[in-house]
Amino acid sequence: MNETIDQGPSRPPPGRLFRKYLYSIVALAFAALAINTGFDVWFSYREQKQLLAATQREQAASAAIQIGQFIGQIESQIRWLARLPPELSTNEDQRLNAIRLLRLSPAIAEIAELDSQGIERVRVSRRVADRIGSKADLSASPAFRGANESRAYYGPVYFFGDTEPYMTLSTRGTGRNPDVIVAEVNLRFIWDLVTGIRVGNTGKAYVVDRMGVLIAHPDLWRALQRSDLSGHADVRAALDGVGPPSGGLVKEDLTGQRVLSTYATVPSLGWLVFVELPLSEAYAPIYASIGRSTFLLVALLAGAVLVSLFLSRRMTGPIQLLTQGARRIGSGDLGLRLAIKTGDELEALGDQFNRMAAQLRHSYATLERKVIERTSELEKARDQALAEHDAAERARSVAVAANETKSRFLAVVSHELRTPLNGVMGVLQLLDDGSLGEAQRRHLTTAAASGETLIALVDAILEYARLEASTEALEPRSFRLDQLIETAADLMRPQALGKGLAFDLVCDVSVKTTVHGDPVRLNRILLNLIGNAIKFTPAGGITVNATADRQDDHILLRITVRDTGIGIAPDMHERIFEDFVQADDSIARRFGGTGLGLAIARRLSRLMGGGLTVASTPGAGSTFTFEVPLGEAASSVAQGAVAPPTRQLRVLLVDDDPVNCEVGEAILRRLGHHPTIARNGASAVALAGEQSFDVILMDLHMPDMDGVEAASRIGKLDLPRMPRIIAVTADVSSGARERLTDAGIVRVVSKPILINALREAIDDDLKVEPAAVQLSAGGLIDRHFLDDQRELLGSAQIAKLHHLLGETTENLIDDIANAAATGDRKRLARSAHQLGSAASALGLVRLLERCREVELAASLMSLAECKDAARELAALQKASTSALNDLLRPVDSR
Amino acid sequence: MTERPPALAVDRRGFIRLAGAAAAGWVALGATSDRMRIVASLTALPLDDELTRRSMIDSATSRLGGLIVGLRQRGWVEGVNFRLELRSSFGPPGRMKAAIQELLELKPDVILTGSTVETAAVLATTKTIPIVFATANDPVGNGFVESLAHPGGNVTGFTSSTAEMGGKWLQLVREAVPDISRVGALYNPSTTPRAGRFFLDSIEQEAAECGVSVIPVPVDAPADIDEAVRRFAEQPKGAMIALVDSFLVVNRQAVVAAAAKYRLPTIYPFHYFMDAGGLMSYGPTLEVRSADYVDLILRGTKAGDLPVQSPRKYELLINRTVARSLGLSIPFTLLARADEIRE
Repeated sequence: MNETIDQGPSRPPPGRLFRKYLYSIVALAFAALAINTGFDVWFSYREQKQLLAATQREQAASAAIQIGQFIGQIESQIRWLARLPPELSTNEDQRLNAIRLLRLSPAIAEIAELDSQGIERVRVSRRVADRIGSKADLSASPAFRGANESRAYYGPVYFFGDTEPYMTLSTRGTGRNPDVIVAEVNLRFIWDLVTGIRVGNTGKAYVVDRMGVLIAHPDLWRALQRSDLSGHADVRAALDGVGPPSGGLVKEDLTGQRVLSTYATVPSLGWLVFVELPLSEAYAPIYASIGRSTFLLVALLAGAVLVSLFLSRRMTGPIQLLTQGARRIGSGDLGLRLAIKTGDELEALGDQFNRMAAQLRHSYATLERKVIERTSELEKARDQALAEHDAAERARSVAVAANETKSRFLAVVSHELRTPLNGVMGVLQLLDDGSLGEAQRRHLTTAAASGETLIALVDAILEYARLEASTEALEPRSFRLDQLIETAADLMRPQALGKGLAFDLVCDVSVKTTVHGDPVRLNRILLNLIGNAIKFTPAGGITVNATADRQDDHILLRITVRDTGIGIAPDMHERIFEDFVQADDSIARRFGGTGLGLAIARRLSRLMGGGLTVASTPGAGSTFTFEVPLGEAASSVAQGAVAPPTRQLRVLLVDDDPVNCEVGEAILRRLGHHPTIARNGASAVALAGEQSFDVILMDLHMPDMDGVEAASRIGKLDLPRMPRIIAVTADVSSGARERLTDAGIVRVVSKPILINALREAIDDDLKVEPAAVQLSAGGLIDRHFLDDQRELLGSAQIAKLHHLLGETTENLIDDIANAAATGDRKRLARSAHQLGSAASALGLVRLLERCREVELAASLMSLAECKDAARELAALQKASTSALNDLLRPVDSR
Repeated sequence: MTERPPALAVDRRGFIRLAGAAAAGWVALGATSDRMRIVASLTALPLDDELTRRSMIDSATSRLGGLIVGLRQRGWVEGVNFRLELRSSFGPPGRMKAAIQELLELKPDVILTGSTVETAAVLATTKTIPIVFATANDPVGNGFVESLAHPGGNVTGFTSSTAEMGGKWLQLVREAVPDISRVGALYNPSTTPRAGRFFLDSIEQEAAECGVSVIPVPVDAPADIDEAVRRFAEQPKGAMIALVDSFLVVNRQAVVAAAAKYRLPTIYPFHYFMDAGGLMSYGPTLEVRSADYVDLILRGTKAGDLPVQSPRKYELLINRTVARSLGLSIPFTLLARADEIRE
């Protein structure tokens, strides 16, 4: 109910429906009224005209009768005179009777009494003197003849004195010799009659004679003018005997006024009485009727408009209410209730609307409840899903953590294994100082190759893991192909020979070339294949064939390893390349092995763009064929003999590992460069700021800051000459490389440092200028370094190194003393170097520095100086060793 | 209200009557111009004559009164939409000319003239201003109009007695005085049509038939009337006919007095003489006619288009007292014919 109350005062303006209804009803009412009024007016008009014409005809007839009576009265008067018995009267009496008649009838101007012969007896006149007994013979006059021929004679109208209409009237008496009375009648007296005829208010009647001459008219002067109206069409028609039109004739009268005209004929006289009514008056009632009808029409129309307004409002009001209700329901106001009280279908419709709204409201309520239910269900499901997701996420985190643990484990393992190997490799390389004999060198080379193989083997697991993760990247460089194969063969030959097997290496001439490829991976494949052959061949021999076909832009290396071993069943030909699969379970028991070798070999061969296949017959041996494309090397390199560097470079070696530092430094010196050591990132940055370097070899894994950060800090020093930074890392994954690239480091040397790899890396450098090597001075022992080493390598390793250092330094001090005493400066320098290198492994920095200084200055020192240097070194060694012992003892005791 | 002074009430009634008449005039006139019309009238009677006195105008018995009443009936109210300018030619010679000049200077819409003499004088001065003559015995003969039905020009009017009326007058006076042997015709040659001959012809014709001698009695001046009548009355068995003559109308008192003085039976052409004590009169009945024509002319009808009207009725008036004083007995035929017998 509130809605209706609200809508009351702010009722919306009538809409189209309202106008439509309004116009329709108005049009209907108007049409009905207009048609009704039109017909009414039309019939009324016709009836009125008919009535008017009839009335006018009546008036004309009445006027004609009056005129006829006027004449008839005169006629009867003179007839009375004529019928007086002749013998009853003398002439004088006749005259008196005539005078009496004149007195009685003013229209009679003159009376003449004729005897039956037409002789005039008496003539009495108003204008002239009376005549008595004139005996004038009037028997030939038309009046006498006319009276005798008929009962009465009506003469034609004539005008006396030019203006006065007169008519002669005569009658005859009765008896044997009847007298004839002739009367001259002044027709002007009809004027009184004609004037007295009322035709409406302004209408008039007039009389024309048989000739069409006007004889009586209310305007007297018109009659006096002797107006001949026979020229008028209606008068002419009337004179010709045509009856008057039933509806009257509309014409212009003598004054030019439009009149409704009709006429009647005066009996016996033949005169015409015209009755004319001006149209303005004749139609006035009609116009008044039309006016009344029009007024009524307008009034009714106004009423109809009002009624239409009322009806339209009544009709459209509920509809508008419905429309508004529908709109509000449409806009969601379902609480609305329409209050339409018209008591008809509209109210029913409104009720239906209300029911519909209620239904909708109910439906919406149900729907909302359902929505709430569904929403809560969904929320539950979502919570559950989230919980599951969290669980999955936790599981994944655990898995990731486990994987990371595994990776860390692998990294630690590799590090643990590599570090001692690195030492071995370094020492082996240092042994070749150019003074070795051929046999020694061969042994040394073999040892070095074995070391490298060992490193490679250690890396196998890591590599496999990386391969599995597709993070393995090749490290191509140039190398002598024949040397690689021969070294591998030399490495394996003792095993074969030791097993009593024949071992043949057949190298094609084409193999004697330098190629660009990944020698480490290639070597690994080769060693794997030969090792397998030896392992699975109980008797017979092994033949290794190597050919290198020079193709368009590369060299296709093809190596076959044939054995006379147990062979492989055909169904196992492919499976043996899978992970941890061996031809037979028994094989594992009989031959051992991880089962990873062939898998890695094939993966590596495929990584290099080649392939590895097998052909075998069980019991008849196997033939593994290995094909791989290799790039052509730009220049030949020789292993063993180190080529002099193109230039001496100042190199900053950044590594926290003293052994690595020692090895690295030695290698750099070997390569003819001037190395400077920085054992952590901060000092590296400081040194880079203080001195000018051509190259910085940056270890990535350092305790204070990692190599990438150190590199970026150096980049920010805004040095006049930016040194080239080469990363030294065991992590050669593509992710690590990207990180390096972002820090501006494009060159990477893998750990452990191989001399050729390092040379190649450095040789890529542009021209650099040599710079003075400046070593940082400090305490006797870099405790930080030592702690790091002890933490990294473990106390046992450190103890071992400590012991080794003790022995080595004692011997080297002796050597130095001897060299100084003998003045062998070269030896002095070498020994000093060896001392420093050894000292560096455990952080005896002062000793290392001094050794380096002595080493550098040895060739220029005097003998005394040499001795002093030797003594100083000895003292320093003693002090350092003592300090080291102090430092390590508590550790050892723990 | 009842204490209102009577004079004021009368004044107010008069005012209301005047206003009502004026309003009626305005309404009746309708489309006609609201210009004040001027109706001029030239009469031979002196302005102090009872026929022309303003106090008498309201009655329809006089010609002038008939005009004003008739015009009022037709919507013309004096002082509201028309002004009546009355001038008399009575007086010394030259007076008429001056009167005509005065009227012409008023630029009247229509000029009414009394008799033939005035008509001729006005016609001589204007050919444009419509002229309506009250009486003219012979307008065609006088050259006033071309014909009675279609006068033409700027003049129309009314005729009086026709020429043969002379014989009628003689017959009537003979019936009253049967033994007469001579009859006199009284007229002023300068004011009667054709110097008296217009009627004398029919009188002489009738006189010849009944054996009576006709003796013209012309008079030129009012002072001569008594002498002329006395001289005619010296002979016995005489009767006299006063012809249609404005001079006689103007001097009707003198004429009637002379006839009575010398016991001369006289018949007159107008009833005015009866009012003055005449024996008998026979002439056209005064009917209100000029108002009709003045109205038409004021509304734009050309005077020349209106036909000259002739009299319709003639009336015989007899004064028995006068007859008795003359020792006359009126016969039946005369009594039967008489329209009015005064005692």
